[in-house]
Amino acid sequence: MDIFVQQLVNSLSVASVTILIGIGITLIFGLAGIVNFAHGEFLMVGGMATWFMVGAGMNFFVALVLAGLLVGALGFAAERCLFRFTLNRPMNGFIMSIGLSVILQHAVIRVFNEFQKSITDPVGLVWTIGGVDIIAMRAIVVAVTAVIVAITYFGISRSRYGMALRASVSDRDTAELMGIPVRRYVTGVFIYGSLLAGIGGALMISLFPITPFTGSVIIIRGFAVSLIGGLGNVGGAVVGGLVLGLVDGLSAGYGYPEWTDAYSLVVMILILVLRPQGLLGGTLGPKAS
Amino acid sequence: MRQLGLGLAMAAAGLAMALQTARADEELPIGVIAAQSGSFVSAGNTIVGAANLAAQQINDAGGIKVGDKTYKIKLYIRDNRTDVNVTIAAARELVNDIGVKAIWGTETHDFSVSMAKITGPAKVLQFSGNSSLGAVLDDKAVAEDGWLHYTFQSEPQEWQRSGSTAKGVLSLLTPQLKSPPKHSVVFVGNDATGQYLSSHYVKALEAEGQKVDLVQYPPDTTDFSPLLTRIKGMKPDIVHFWYNGDSTLTAFPQALKLGVAPSYFLFGVDPGIYRERSLKADVPVTMSCVPVCWGSSPYPEVKQYFDKYFGLGAAKGPQSSVSLLYYDYFFWYAKALEKVGKIDDPDAVVAELLKSDYKGVVSPVPLVFNKHHQVTFATEVCMVEPNTSDKFKCAVEQPPAAPPPGDNGG
Repeated sequence: MDIFVQQLVNSLSVASVTILIGIGITLIFGLAGIVNFAHGEFLMVGGMATWFMVGAGMNFFVALVLAGLLVGALGFAAERCLFRFTLNRPMNGFIMSIGLSVILQHAVIRVFNEFQKSITDPVGLVWTIGGVDIIAMRAIVVAVTAVIVAITYFGISRSRYGMALRASVSDRDTAELMGIPVRRYVTGVFIYGSLLAGIGGALMISLFPITPFTGSVIIIRGFAVSLIGGLGNVGGAVVGGLVLGLVDGLSAGYGYPEWTDAYSLVVMILILVLRPQGLLGGTLGPKAS
Repeated sequence: MRQLGLGLAMAAAGLAMALQTARADEELPIGVIAAQSGSFVSAGNTIVGAANLAAQQINDAGGIKVGDKTYKIKLYIRDNRTDVNVTIAAARELVNDIGVKAIWGTETHDFSVSMAKITGPAKVLQFSGNSSLGAVLDDKAVAEDGWLHYTFQSEPQEWQRSGSTAKGVLSLLTPQLKSPPKHSVVFVGNDATGQYLSSHYVKALEAEGQKVDLVQYPPDTTDFSPLLTRIKGMKPDIVHFWYNGDSTLTAFPQALKLGVAPSYFLFGVDPGIYRERSLKADVPVTMSCVPVCWGSSPYPEVKQYFDKYFGLGAAKGPQSSVSLLYYDYFFWYAKALEKVGKIDDPDAVVAELLKSDYKGVVSPVPLVFNKHHQVTFATEVCMVEPNTSDKFKCAVEQPPAAPPPGDNGG
């Protein structure tokens, strides 16, 4: 029983970083229509920046905020210099993002090196409750993710900015006629999604090492989470992340462990066959003029 | 007119001297194919580092004297981008366009085998540090008309390395545990190399009396906690993190936090990395390197080698020691060329390599190729004192004389 409960606890923390990257992807595609395959590399850059700052003596939580801002700025530059020219040709943007991901990987190798980077556990505590080991930093990662999810959810569903965004997704032309600066909103969404990737990278490196190639692995799970929940749906990304986390945790614990990745992707395929719009329904991207 | 004639004569004399100098320092083209980008870059860069160091040392010492000529090594380094298709294209270019005499590389079994299909017919020697080549290096393949006649495996056979590693790990850990260890779990990445290597290691542990469970994880796993929790439920005496040093460095700290086992073995993790990362465990931890550790070497030659290797700018990584699977063979090859007296007689060079030995850095005992073109040398296993990051006790274990029961060698 202890082992089963331990697996459930593991599943929550497995899900957290995936949820963060999933939210970034779901917002950027669902609301801005950009398929950014370099989003995983944005997370990696956030992790590498955190490693560098913590190595230079900075407090982890300060580094986490700065990593988010840095990657947000990177997102701003990428959107302004690259992706805004492909808004009407999403396939061009997709191919461009693959190129960007390779460039970012090798830029990091050039600046640092190819070896994996890690930091000392910022908290370094393990709580044992009823025979279940709860690693304190993992609990913090879950809590930070929960706060970000709440802010994002209410920002999208309740604020004027969120309403304008949703209007832009429903009908871009009408939204523009109503005075909504759609282009600026797209930039804003891209920056926010990138910022979340930076924070995700910082949280990730607090749990396990990352390499310049971490992003290309995590991006697959990010897209899986977004699709399972429904693209453009923040709640869907949370549900998708939890589903994948549970499938990962329980299949690793009780199934054939070497197939762990396959189980979660099979679940994704099944969900997309049975509910093409995702579990909670998504936007299927903005309707371009 | 006389002045013009004198000028022409001086120019001709100068040209003749230049030609003579050029003839005295002829070029020996050698290819290196390694991952300088892509996911194998960590191992690939070590091949390039070793090649640069060896070529520099041989050239600085005057080059290779073959017959009445002196050759300086000219390296042609190609990045295979961790892609088998790029590897094949690079091998074709080096063999057909540049005309290299030998190629060093590459990192993995399938890439090396693909290269051998190009180097073999062209009679270009190939030195590859993959223990898994043992699966294809047999009597027929290495015969004079065989497709691997010109291929040499610069790492011991896997049953040898597994045998010496298992013995070393158990001999270091047994005195540290309350009772002799009986149950081991081997934790390994589920890729072609992991499957091949672990099949030998499991048998080596069983030959030492261990009950062994094999748990495989998907390659590129970063969160190992669900799998480690499963292993914890198996109540092992030792968890052996096998094969991939980078994955091990990710999984091991998670295992410590979850208290998975009373002792651990980390394959491919150098004590130098353990120290640099300030890793600490309250239980005994052993580790081994491929092939000799840079962080705690028992041999002065190895220490000197790594000082020079890192002095050339190579990064200190968990796989830096892999460079030693490639370094010595430059000198051995040069020695064979000098003995043969020709650089264009690859069959004679192969024959010379097979009958000669070479005392290099990687082993205090001279290296010898067996009839299947494979070398044999010992494995270094170290143990770190609990609650420290830098107090190591190391032992050098010789390989067993024969494969364990159930292991058909290879």
